[in-house]
Amino acid sequence: MAETIIVTRELGFSYGDIVALRDVTLDIPAGCVGLVGANGAGKTTLLKLLLGILRPAAGAVWAMGHPVPAAALAVRSQVGYMPESACLPPDQTAADFVGYAAELAGLTPRAARQRASDVLGLVGLHEERFRPMGGFSTGMKQRAKLAQAIVHDPDLVLLDEPTAGLDPEGREEMLQLIGRLEGFGINAVVSSHVLTDIERTCQWIVMLDGGGVLRSGPLTEISATDEVSVEVLADPAPLAAALEAAGAAVEVQGRVVIVRAERADLYDLVRDALADTATAVRRLGPRRTTLEDIFLRGPGLEGAGDD
Amino acid sequence: MTEGVIYDLGYRPHEGPRLGRTGAVRALYRDGLRRTLGLRRRARAKVAPWGLLTIAILPAVAFIGLAVLTRQMGVNEVEFFSHAQYFDLTGTIALLFIAAAAGELLVPDRTHGVLQVYASRPLTPGDYLLGRAAALLTVVFAFMEIPHLVLFLGRAWVAEEGFGSYVAGNAEILWQTALASLVYFAALAPLAFLFAVFSKRPALAAGSFVGAMLVLSPATQALVVEGGLKPFGLFALQQHPAVVKDWIMGAAGRRLVPQRAGYDPWVSLVVVAVVALAAAYLVVRRYRRPV
Repeated sequence: MAETIIVTRELGFSYGDIVALRDVTLDIPAGCVGLVGANGAGKTTLLKLLLGILRPAAGAVWAMGHPVPAAALAVRSQVGYMPESACLPPDQTAADFVGYAAELAGLTPRAARQRASDVLGLVGLHEERFRPMGGFSTGMKQRAKLAQAIVHDPDLVLLDEPTAGLDPEGREEMLQLIGRLEGFGINAVVSSHVLTDIERTCQWIVMLDGGGVLRSGPLTEISATDEVSVEVLADPAPLAAALEAAGAAVEVQGRVVIVRAERADLYDLVRDALADTATAVRRLGPRRTTLEDIFLRGPGLEGAGDD
Repeated sequence: MTEGVIYDLGYRPHEGPRLGRTGAVRALYRDGLRRTLGLRRRARAKVAPWGLLTIAILPAVAFIGLAVLTRQMGVNEVEFFSHAQYFDLTGTIALLFIAAAAGELLVPDRTHGVLQVYASRPLTPGDYLLGRAAALLTVVFAFMEIPHLVLFLGRAWVAEEGFGSYVAGNAEILWQTALASLVYFAALAPLAFLFAVFSKRPALAAGSFVGAMLVLSPATQALVVEGGLKPFGLFALQQHPAVVKDWIMGAAGRRLVPQRAGYDPWVSLVVVAVVALAAAYLVVRRYRRPV
């Protein structure tokens, strides 16, 4: 496994009687990590625990090798945070505020001004950097929020719902920006309830549900199934019948036949059935499921990940 | 003709120094100075601080001008108001200034969600309040000292005994006004912060603080003088710094509410200290809550 940037052990947190997180044990590697879950699943709480803003009620958490909250200040000097809610003063220009955010992370005023200019250019706000942010559109505000989160060149950035409120074009641009972060040497934890956004940008997935970990592991591993998908050119009925006769479970979706059987020679079975029924094949391969499928199926599939 | 070339420098990591927590507090301090004075903000934000400073300095400038004019006319005996009397004006203006500045320093950070950004930086809530309070102290101290400095230098300029002799003979005024300015800050700023912490708008914070302070003086006077309830003299919060200031500057003869209630000036000093510490404690406690 690559270098581990976040470790939690039996982490728990409650807001009064409401349990926000329970028994969360994770080992998250470097790279772009997706934190997915429905609203109220505990995503923002986990991010705040990583920053040391909240103190764990149970268990322990380490970020970038430092225990939190004991070494919260050391963590925060290496981490950037893009909150979900508003965090931009409307009467300040983007250049002033992002520069100030860099100074707050310990950069000298001169370096902060330079970095603010560079990063605002990077997120596409170069032309608007001297405008008060109160007049920004939602997309521009999200970019400015991202800029303040990465202006001090952190090792890790925590992005809480970075595409919230964006139109399709703005979402696309934000996802492209997030996709570039790893190339800058910045690890990212992207919290979102939009699963397709996470699928596009992250290599490692943590799925939270009701405050607990539903799944955690590489996207490729999580999305892989033990099913075979066969897309045929003609009528799939003869193939489906042959496979069922051979003892496989079959589901037909248009011209796609999904084959499920607990046997090692599943591909041999499909090959034989195709040959017997003389069915022309367009595509054959393992069926990949979406995060949405996994999430909607719930804890029944638990166990495929690391935790 | 030379053709321009665009170089894509890409992302450049920061390789310079990182000043850590100290740098963060300094940044907060600098931002506090700018915010208090309305610098790098719209013109509207500059009106209150610079307008109040102008009002505070104007009497000193006007009286010096008058003194120069009358001296040219051959009249050498010009009566200036004393520094202690001038403090009554600058102290009242300082009340308005501190009220406006405290709201401006704390309220927008909270209402616009900027505290989330501070929470992600190497800062503690105490660091945040320290940076903000230090900025306010600097500006308020300058705000209260500059008019006195103008008056002092003006008086030295028109003094019959000459500039140097006047300065040498009256230098104690400088530390007295400086000390009195600090007392005014201690008496007013923590309370103004406390009002700001519980307000949703800077103007509301300023208005409620000024209102409370202005109401307390006549209310306590009525209770002490008319009602004979002398302990209420302790609640004349706006007048305690004036009592301490008169004590520091050796001014006598005034009958402020705490004095009418029979309290010595040191009691006013204790009240100022206790109220300041209590207000500061409540403000710090409020900021310990997670954002």
